[in-house]
Amino acid sequence: METLINVAHGFGVALLPINLLYCFIGVFIGTLVGVLPGIGPISAMSLLLPITLSGTPESGIIMMAGIYYGSMYGGSTTSILVNIPGEAASVVTCIDGHQMAKQGRAGPALGIAAFGSFIAGTFALIALMLVAPKLASVAIAFGPAEYFSLMVLGLVVLTFLTQGSMAKALLMACTGVVLGLIGLDSITAQPRLTFGRVELIDGIGLVPVVMGLFGIAEVLLNTEQVIKRDIMNTRITHLLPSRADWKASAGPISRGTIMGFLLGILPGGGAVVASFGSYALEKRLSKTPERFGTGAIEGVAGPEAANNAAAGGAFIPLMTLGIPPNVVMALLLGAFVIHGLQPGPLMITQNPGLFWGIVASMYIGNLMLLVLNLPMIGMWVQLLKLPYNILFPLIILFTIIGVYCSSNNVFDVYVMIAFGVIGYFMRKLGYEPAPLVLAFVLGPMLENNLRKSLILSQGDLMTFVERPISAACLLFAVALLIGPLLPALRKKRELVALDEGA
Amino acid sequence: MSNDSNVKIRLNNSELWGGLIGLALGGFVIWSGLKLKLGTINDPGSGYVLFYTGILMCLFAGSIIIAALSEGGPTFGSRWQNTRWTKPVIVIACLIAFAFSLDTFGFLLSSIPLMVLLLRLVDPVRWPLAIPIAVLVPLGMWWILKRLLLIQLPSGIFEIG
Repeated sequence: METLINVAHGFGVALLPINLLYCFIGVFIGTLVGVLPGIGPISAMSLLLPITLSGTPESGIIMMAGIYYGSMYGGSTTSILVNIPGEAASVVTCIDGHQMAKQGRAGPALGIAAFGSFIAGTFALIALMLVAPKLASVAIAFGPAEYFSLMVLGLVVLTFLTQGSMAKALLMACTGVVLGLIGLDSITAQPRLTFGRVELIDGIGLVPVVMGLFGIAEVLLNTEQVIKRDIMNTRITHLLPSRADWKASAGPISRGTIMGFLLGILPGGGAVVASFGSYALEKRLSKTPERFGTGAIEGVAGPEAANNAAAGGAFIPLMTLGIPPNVVMALLLGAFVIHGLQPGPLMITQNPGLFWGIVASMYIGNLMLLVLNLPMIGMWVQLLKLPYNILFPLIILFTIIGVYCSSNNVFDVYVMIAFGVIGYFMRKLGYEPAPLVLAFVLGPMLENNLRKSLILSQGDLMTFVERPISAACLLFAVALLIGPLLPALRKKRELVALDEGA
Repeated sequence: MSNDSNVKIRLNNSELWGGLIGLALGGFVIWSGLKLKLGTINDPGSGYVLFYTGILMCLFAGSIIIAALSEGGPTFGSRWQNTRWTKPVIVIACLIAFAFSLDTFGFLLSSIPLMVLLLRLVDPVRWPLAIPIAVLVPLGMWWILKRLLLIQLPSGIFEIG
């Protein structure tokens, strides 16, 4: 009953005209960046982070969340029609989705992707509503040791799932921690790594780092290649899947939803792992696995449901523990912090309007996405024809303006350009930026909790293993660190390794 | 002779240089941590986490170097093989020039040439299309920010914008 009252309260917030407008802008931009290859949700969210300053916290967060789950919807369109994933979570959709489009079944592929996403997104929201308050009440008992170990686990999981060498990913995570510690020490107020520059006293901003590493670096990488698009010129008809399509897709959608939601909750996991996991599961369960790769609708329905459910599940650790499980959530945490809010166990009780408003807005956003992605599919197809040589200078200009507006400081533009160049070389040499960004956000919290737990325990390191939750997290983290040394686990890691930056 | 060529291959190994940069960074972080004072385990100081993170960085960089020396790795050339490597160089040069000119010349006088260069030098857009985009987009953005959102963009020594 209490949940229903809270949901009603949330709808009261979400249905305010200004919040509806921000929700629409969010899902619209999300679909747009999902559709356009070369700009992912991370770049778009970092670009729009400064804009959230102009409205209320609710409006800003509702818009940012909309961009995230909107991009999951939009990503499928390019995968199916052009065979280029708009964002990383839609890579798998290309395999069977584009084959279906080639066979003249683009309509059912797009339809099942949109309906699967809607069903999974709705399920994830209901689960979020039910799980988050319960987890938050448990999380109140968390001490600094638990928080420290959970953050370590989150970083290790992300490095485990990152493409390429794990040593490189761990090196990136450590670099991120160091970058996050630049500025005044929160306990002693001593300046660290500021090199005498006043601009660095407050540390490096998240916006220039993310925009540089993901926005500018992505543009630099894209300019290296000639981007060719094989856009379907045929008219897209029969968007509503047939009864046979629904029958084939029901199982994959259900399994993908549950798997995606659970993987979304895990720190370090996310939509990309969920979509790959769902595809592998469906292929394994299928009586005719040879159909996969040749236009099997199950190969579209499962992964699309999984990546949307994961997008919903990823809100749980952020909202209840204040720990972002992936880079996108780290950006959302940045939006909370900009408004002086700290997500965590107390947020649901202290700021119910914000929490339930965001949850309710996601229901509305999911409905908006269904309308945006089915009847308006023609408009998105037209957008795909925008040439990249016009698009990329615009992206660069918008990132420059976005960074400048976030702080009114030219120094941040320099930082962004520097990180753009560093990010480009990092990607060329096989160093993924995702662990760096997550560690950059978690670094100060990690240090704070480590130092607090050491002070509280009077320097007794056993505090991390004597507390069961902390011990379990550390044990899991150690297992993942040792895992890649074992050949069997290394192979598995290579199979699920992801490219967060895409 | 064969030894010489082996050394050459190793020195051109991009993995090795990546690891060495990581090692140098780790060394610098350790040094910074020590300079900031470590404190004690009961009361960790400002450099405590930096110091131990630096050690971890050196360990991970060390393992990258060992892997590069024992297993080899791709050369710098191979990383840029079959790519139009001059294009990102052009974009980087344009961005650096823009960064230097932004404070002096202001947003409008820096961003319009930046847009012209990016539109014309990478994958050339026709002049009749490039010029309007390069002029109108920064002008439009400037107008929205200044007039609607009341955000002052840098106006430079000529105070334009």
